[in-house]
Amino acid sequence: MRGLKKIAAIIVACLFVYLSLFTWNLRTGHLDALSSHTGLDIAGVVLKPGIWVAEQVSGFWHRYIYLVGLKQDNDTLRTEAAELRRTNMLMGAQARSAARLESLFGFRPPEKWTFSGARVIGQRMGPAGVLDTMVVDKGKASGVTDDMPVVSLKGLVGRILRSGTTTSTVLLLTDPNSRIAVIGAHNRSPGMLSGQGYGAPLQLRYVNQNADVDPGELLLSSGLSGIYPKGLPVAKVTKIRRSDISLFLTVEAAPLVDMAGLEEILLLNREPEAAVEAGTGDVAERQPESGPEAGKEDASGAADQ
Amino acid sequence: MLPTNSALAILWWGAYTVFGIWAHRAVPGIDVFAPALIVSLQEENGQRSAVLAVIWILLIEGTGNLPFGYGLAWYGLLTIAFSAGRWLFEARSYLFMALLGLWLGLLHPVLIYGLSSLANLEVPMRPVLIQGAIQAAAFPVIWFLADHFFPVRLRQDVRPL
Repeated sequence: MRGLKKIAAIIVACLFVYLSLFTWNLRTGHLDALSSHTGLDIAGVVLKPGIWVAEQVSGFWHRYIYLVGLKQDNDTLRTEAAELRRTNMLMGAQARSAARLESLFGFRPPEKWTFSGARVIGQRMGPAGVLDTMVVDKGKASGVTDDMPVVSLKGLVGRILRSGTTTSTVLLLTDPNSRIAVIGAHNRSPGMLSGQGYGAPLQLRYVNQNADVDPGELLLSSGLSGIYPKGLPVAKVTKIRRSDISLFLTVEAAPLVDMAGLEEILLLNREPEAAVEAGTGDVAERQPESGPEAGKEDASGAADQ
Repeated sequence: MLPTNSALAILWWGAYTVFGIWAHRAVPGIDVFAPALIVSLQEENGQRSAVLAVIWILLIEGTGNLPFGYGLAWYGLLTIAFSAGRWLFEARSYLFMALLGLWLGLLHPVLIYGLSSLANLEVPMRPVLIQGAIQAAAFPVIWFLADHFFPVRLRQDVRPL
């Protein structure tokens, strides 16, 4: 009987210590930082050489074995490039005109963002990897910070969840814990986009019953959350349902990016305010400052891509 | 312990950890370190098992995306179950390993549900239940393989006096 009491006391004490540790970490994040700077970085160090070798082998294959279709690919790309140059010329004129009008009306110039590339070195990992995430090969040493927006050339991917020294974890927009404030590209109806898990459609919440939303309409980040720049393409509306018992529309959307097929991503970093004020505001006139990998993009300009 | 044995232990466990990281990348949701921890508890002194557990906890927590606590509870409860089960079962019996696998298979969804609720996170439980079932089935197999390839020189029962 006395032995049982002793065991019960030990169990209660262990539970108390465990929950205290858990709560303290939730509040301060010290243990998460410790595990990110040790476990996540060690995993990155182990994975990177293997992935580098795999990329070299597959790169060799693509470069030397698949030379057959190079001429056709080149012709297609030349046509596409010509088309894009034409579109860019027209849009550049519109953008300059918008900038002139904004300065006439005294608008504050939009924020500037720098971007740098990173490689995806893993998706979910280990038994505690239950959220929709991916691991990338850049961390705090490369200027990565928590909540940094992550995009691909097709659209928004998510944001940095945790960052180690040389490796980081990205929370994908398909995760149920991801919330992104968006706005319709055509009708400008606002809403909150949340994931429902990989493979399931995204859900656009809090859209008024009388709001205008079209099937196929592009959803852009509204910039209201302060994390993502305004105007990034996020998803496309796939289904709209009206309900008699709800105040809001039930809207489903599909992400623009295939998360499983991603190999490289872009990390967006807010440029310091002083640098923005010193700049002219014209992206085309400015030179990249942070090496050949990095470039600069106007937040409103990104919306048009 | 002979210095060569220490070097061999570091080499063996280092190689196993590298294999484990790649296995975790290939099959998310499954832990290959847990059966190896049991091998270490069966064959080595407690100090080395504790060091291995700390390293693997940091790896699991770092590569995972829940707030810190899963790995600690996971290995803590596994060690308790192993120590308690040794009173009843022969420590290296297949039945005991299958029961430990079942215990982990049950523990995985319970821990994920508990920790995600405490941290106010939404986690779809269906895939987690499937991962628990796979973990339960894979545990004895991984333990058998890890035990089979574990160097004879490192086993306590054959170590020179």
